[in-house]
Amino acid sequence: MASAPAIKTEKYGEFLVAVTNGNPGLNLPQRMGKALWFPMFLMAIIAFPVALILGIVRASAVSDGDASTAFALAHVTTGVMFIGFMGVFSAIVFAIARILGAFREGGGTVQTAAGRRVLTLVMPNTAKAMVVLMMMGMMMLLAGIVAEFALAAVGSGAITDGDNALLQTTQSWSAWITGLRRFGNTTYLLSIAFGLYTIVNVIRLQSKRIRELGDEPALNAG
Amino acid sequence: MAVQGGTVRPGSVLRPPMAADFLAKATHARIGIVLAAIGIMVAMVSFIGSTVNAANIADDGAGGTTVAAYNAWTFGISTAGLAFAKLGIALILWGIVRRLWIRVESTKVGLAKLVPYVDGKGDPAGLSGTNPYLSVTVTRTAPDAYPIHKMAFKLWSPMLVMGAMLVTAGVVFSLIEAAAGADGNTADFLTYSALAQGTEFFGEALLLAGISLLLGSILGSLRQGGGEVQESLGLAVKTPIMPGTAKLFVALMAIGLMGAMLQFVLYLFVAGEDNPATISAWFAWLGPLREASLGLMLSGIVLALATIGTKVLPFQFLRIQEMIRNGK
Repeated sequence: MASAPAIKTEKYGEFLVAVTNGNPGLNLPQRMGKALWFPMFLMAIIAFPVALILGIVRASAVSDGDASTAFALAHVTTGVMFIGFMGVFSAIVFAIARILGAFREGGGTVQTAAGRRVLTLVMPNTAKAMVVLMMMGMMMLLAGIVAEFALAAVGSGAITDGDNALLQTTQSWSAWITGLRRFGNTTYLLSIAFGLYTIVNVIRLQSKRIRELGDEPALNAG
Repeated sequence: MAVQGGTVRPGSVLRPPMAADFLAKATHARIGIVLAAIGIMVAMVSFIGSTVNAANIADDGAGGTTVAAYNAWTFGISTAGLAFAKLGIALILWGIVRRLWIRVESTKVGLAKLVPYVDGKGDPAGLSGTNPYLSVTVTRTAPDAYPIHKMAFKLWSPMLVMGAMLVTAGVVFSLIEAAAGADGNTADFLTYSALAQGTEFFGEALLLAGISLLLGSILGSLRQGGGEVQESLGLAVKTPIMPGTAKLFVALMAIGLMGAMLQFVLYLFVAGEDNPATISAWFAWLGPLREASLGLMLSGIVLALATIGTKVLPFQFLRIQEMIRNGK
């Protein structure tokens, strides 16, 4: 569906809105949300069981006293698990963007069907915060995931070679990366909170608009 | 009382009175954002703790008592940070449910001025049941709520309360674990480590269950509210039939919650074990189990959101256009 360009922005009550003569269509984050929520979901739903299986294999290595394999699998398991978390948190944010897109497109089509001006909320700062925080969370988790795989390779080699100094270095990095991953998770949650907060304000605007739509003169009323 | 006879009544916890101000400030959402912000600050404290711990390990190795203590409390505190953020999200979702009901009342008022009168407007036979987004039923009156929606309306708040209590208990266990680690008391350290991990993650799972049930309440409210709007205009009622994504959402939530219960029971069992080697082997797979359980519940949440964004809302907006254009 072709999107109508904004004619101007104006204040509508407390809301800053863009005025168009038709459906404004999806903005970039909403288009990304529409395209990416499912691939991210798929990545997550595959990663979680794989990580669980790796954990079970690691339990066997721990029971057998195979320190090198146990060390490597500990980090690989965490890496795969957090591929899942990165996927699922991203999918949630993209799905929220999709909901915001549904409100935007739906509001546009309803106002068009009513023959009135189309007013759409200009992207609020809370929506921008959602996008920025999501990117920050993703970068933190991605760095953590890459580091986990590197630590698996370096640390297991250090155990095999009996290089205690190198092993100590990997353990130190592991502690820091663990903190980074946890912080990344919470950053994602804050992003989700901002996305949902934006939905609340979109619903507030639409409640006002639908109530007052019939009182506004139609565009073709002469 | 949130529900009576399976429907959300005006003036209840989930639905403001019909005359509620449609422009009232978003109090729930604002408090929710504050809680989520507290969560990120708590997580920052944990992150700083992990950075100090990394320096300790670089200096003295990973086997010291200080490192054990840091491992324990940073875990406990970071999980508490996640819990704060989840409670904030739950509060915002609660606000969304209430806002949706205010939107329902506004839509009734607005559409009464926009929908033209046509003869036979309330006759289901005169209305097509086809829809590009969802399978729908066409009836003279709004159908009853699904049992899963009735359950969601009632159970979201108990889940959140229990989740918050368990996470709090888990934080206390992790602090006791940290004290035992600092004292070099290995037996207590391992016992409380198992208790802290099992309890905190079961609490997190219950918080996610509360969030999932709030999403279920949103889906139920959209369904019931849509029916109310159509009925109030004297029109035949188009109602969505539960799509596959919503069914899979329920399944993933249930599987994830069962996994979380299982890990909790097994951690309680491990807390009674004495042999460090045996405990290490249990921890090796219980960690991934508890995380995968939460992951599956989060995956269910994705599907709930997708159901709202890709099916229910597009259906509702299309139905509103249909009513404005055709009067039925």
